[in-house]
Amino acid sequence: MTAATVLPGQPGTPGGGPAGVRRNFWRGVGRVLRRKPSRLAGVAILVMFALMAIFGPIVYPAVLPRDDDALYAPPSLAHPFGTDFEGTDVLALVVTGARYVILTGVVTAVITVALGTALGLVAGFHRGRWDAALMRLTDLQLTIPGLPLLLVLSTIWKFDGPLEMGLVLGLLGWGGIARAVRSQTLSLRERGFIEAARGLGLSTTHIVVRELLPSMAPYIAMNVLIAVTGAIYAQVGLFFLGVLPFESNNWGVMLNLAVFGGGALTSAAALPYLLAPLLAILLLTLGIVLVVDAMDEIFNPRLREE
Amino acid sequence: MTPPTTPTRPGSRTRAVTRRLAGHLARGLAMIWVVTTISFVIIRNIPGDPVRGQYETLIERGMSPDQAERATAALYGFLPTGSLWDQYTGYLAALAHLDLGQSLSTPGTEVTTLIGSAASWTVLPVLGGTLLSFLLGVTLGVYAGIRRSGRLGDLLSISGSLLHGVPQYVIGLLMLAIFTTLWPIFPAGGPVDVEFTPGLNAGYLASLIHHATLPVLTYALASYGGWVLAMKSSVATVLGDDFILAAELRGMSRGVVFRYVARNAILPLFTILALSLGMLFGGAIFIERIFNYPGLGLLLVNSIGARDYALMGGTFLVTTVAIIIANIAADLLYAVIDPRVRTAS
Amino acid sequence: MTIDPDPAAAPGPHAAPGVRVRDLTVVYRTPLGELPALHGVSLAIEPGTITGLVGESGSGKSTLALSLLNAVQPPGRIAAGQVEIDGLGDVTRLGGEELRRARGRHLGYVFQAAQNSLNPLKTVGKQLLDLGRSHGVADPAALVHDARLLLDRMGLPGARVLDSCQHELSGGMRQRVGIMFALVLNAHLVILDEPTTALDMITQAAILRIIREIHKERGLTTLIVTHDIGVAAEVTDRLAVMYGGRVVEHGPTTEVLGDPGHPYTQGLIRAIPRLSGDIDAARALPGRPPTLGTVPVDGCVFRERCPRRMDVCETGEPPVAWLGDRTVACHAAGAAPREKEHA
Repeated sequence: MTAATVLPGQPGTPGGGPAGVRRNFWRGVGRVLRRKPSRLAGVAILVMFALMAIFGPIVYPAVLPRDDDALYAPPSLAHPFGTDFEGTDVLALVVTGARYVILTGVVTAVITVALGTALGLVAGFHRGRWDAALMRLTDLQLTIPGLPLLLVLSTIWKFDGPLEMGLVLGLLGWGGIARAVRSQTLSLRERGFIEAARGLGLSTTHIVVRELLPSMAPYIAMNVLIAVTGAIYAQVGLFFLGVLPFESNNWGVMLNLAVFGGGALTSAAALPYLLAPLLAILLLTLGIVLVVDAMDEIFNPRLREE
Repeated sequence: MTPPTTPTRPGSRTRAVTRRLAGHLARGLAMIWVVTTISFVIIRNIPGDPVRGQYETLIERGMSPDQAERATAALYGFLPTGSLWDQYTGYLAALAHLDLGQSLSTPGTEVTTLIGSAASWTVLPVLGGTLLSFLLGVTLGVYAGIRRSGRLGDLLSISGSLLHGVPQYVIGLLMLAIFTTLWPIFPAGGPVDVEFTPGLNAGYLASLIHHATLPVLTYALASYGGWVLAMKSSVATVLGDDFILAAELRGMSRGVVFRYVARNAILPLFTILALSLGMLFGGAIFIERIFNYPGLGLLLVNSIGARDYALMGGTFLVTTVAIIIANIAADLLYAVIDPRVRTAS
Repeated sequence: MTIDPDPAAAPGPHAAPGVRVRDLTVVYRTPLGELPALHGVSLAIEPGTITGLVGESGSGKSTLALSLLNAVQPPGRIAAGQVEIDGLGDVTRLGGEELRRARGRHLGYVFQAAQNSLNPLKTVGKQLLDLGRSHGVADPAALVHDARLLLDRMGLPGARVLDSCQHELSGGMRQRVGIMFALVLNAHLVILDEPTTALDMITQAAILRIIREIHKERGLTTLIVTHDIGVAAEVTDRLAVMYGGRVVEHGPTTEVLGDPGHPYTQGLIRAIPRLSGDIDAARALPGRPPTLGTVPVDGCVFRERCPRRMDVCETGEPPVAWLGDRTVACHAAGAAPREKEHA
């Protein structure tokens, strides 16, 4: 959003002007990250998962090799997390499974943010009847229990592939952002922001795209991360519960097979098979918690002073 | 002399609460309608149309069309024949009589009976776990809120964020791995050991508690982080309020100031408490599945596995109703405990 | 250096105490380092007077008021100097329980935002009992009785107010409840931070009258912080004018307002529009008051806006000069004959 406001060929004056603001922003980001090194670790973790999702399935063969002599093998140099009930390397399963999981998260986030922001803006901007109707819809979306609804839906819809899965989760998850964006819009409105822009003869599109969205961008950005995690947990959970057909590699499938399938929990030797995907989720959560913590500080300067 | 703001009379406050309650009920009914409609649409659209199939099977077995129709209606909640509209209104009418149909997977049993017996296995652990985590989380959250820059405060916040961020099943699976496999001191599943006769005898109760420990602990751990974070930020907000500084400048003792902070900070959390009790019914699905605990969540998962649609629709409905009730309870609770809830709002 | 009065003659806690602030420096921690909000402030508040502390926002007047209770809020801290109060000693050295007991019992403070100075969940009466318990009051019933008398005295239905929560009271009522809390333990040094801001004119006048009456009746030493010169003119005996973390002028109110010695005070008075008279005669002070970050490090803090700026103002901190009964901190005030105020 900020990039759009920089006119070409117009050098940013230091400390002022859009480019300067942007430079200050990045300097602020740098400072916030340096202040607590753990936050850099958070960024590194997220980058690692992104790389896993992009390159994982390229590095490994499409059908992972099985080793019939090493079923539930303990961790070793060749298999850092051991092998599963078919003798497949657990690490390979986790790495190749990351794409499905993370792709779903990204699709969900895109839909959630697009839908939530649009509906929130419309509601906050128009108020009146539109607002009331949209907020009723939002309330409804927020109160209907999501997971049970997903389970019930799974009886008639198989959510084939990460795209469809992301679509479903996105359609069920926009309420929070819509409400937040609406209240932000209303508060900007109360401060005379919109009226002032109107008074200057600016078009509605201009007000929304150039004025409202940039000031809400931080808010939306944080919600993107939260939406991504929510989507990842939900789909892994669905596969773990075993209500969806196991057609592709997914951490949830691993969890399901580990607990209910091969009887992994009857012997400690098979634990790595269960723990590897759990570790992946924990690590991802840690990364997101650390990055959200950093974003919180970047976008809420009040928190900076301790 | 300036006139005081309109004083709140007890009568008008009661009236305001009643009005809010009416609004909630209207919204609740609308939600129930939406949820039942979703159930109806889903059951109608199941691939292969089992409703029609059941009806035809029964006729092939020699039932009269009339009998077959009634038997099928008992299973699915609506008549297999007739127009879509007739089927829909029939379904809603049955629900209005609290008739959720019969279970397919446990033949001859009413869905309401199954739900009733499952509900207690969900409610008690959820209640126990939530209260445990509420007490713990709020206590530590006060500390984290007051000592925001200390090392222990940081540790509490990070651990709180992590536990809050991790999905419940991760915590549940870790508990399962640690306490039933690595260090098997708790039973892996089921509500109680079969060798005890149900009743108020020591063996049965001990077994009950033994089996409930892991689910309750999982509920507690899964929600603990949220309480720490919520209480911490609430305390931080209240600490910035003018009346706390005013109390300090009046020389109020530390104990008094602490109570002022704690009471004001905990207030918004009671609302979340009521809400989270409702929401936890959703979370119960994972925890009950992991520990094979026969509550509502497991009932829902099993009904889907068994394609027992009447049971599925009923459980879904009951879960929604629980959330609606929690919403209303939260709102009323707030009106009761916060003297500021005015007639105006 | 002032010489301390004979300790034997020092008044006990139940007579109006005097206050001597010496070289007080308060700094605030900011991303740019520690910046002074008060810079070597010295001020003597005479026992039994009502002293006004005026200045624009950011001049450090609230910080000074809080310093009298050793209650500067983080990220600020008292970096140097003393605040000597009769009967208490140097409050900057007090801490813990000693300091807590002094607050409320000896030092009554009416909070700047007294509108919000009450616990929203408890009735005024219950908070009064909390106050009594905190200060070991032996007879709570007597405390409640005193509170009711005070409230009645301020024109409030005492019994009903004690039974009310904050949200059931109007702004003016809350303000008076705040004053009651400051007086009910019989504190003899009372500090009122903007006691009438955000009140309508009628209530404001009523509250000022009450303050003056109670001050006289109880024999208090009172400090009123305000940005409103009109308020200061109405109730105070002495007036201290603050600018950029310094006291630039201090003396009897009539003298300071009638014949201001510091160019800043002169500007302030000229900026007041008169009800009767030409609105154009009111001239706003040019420029803006300095903030923490923009206070000049060397020289006179006011020079940027000063009509009588000289070369020496760039480098030297102005000395405090005595002009009769008052002090003025200005290079020009001592040297040049004062420009007469055209009324």
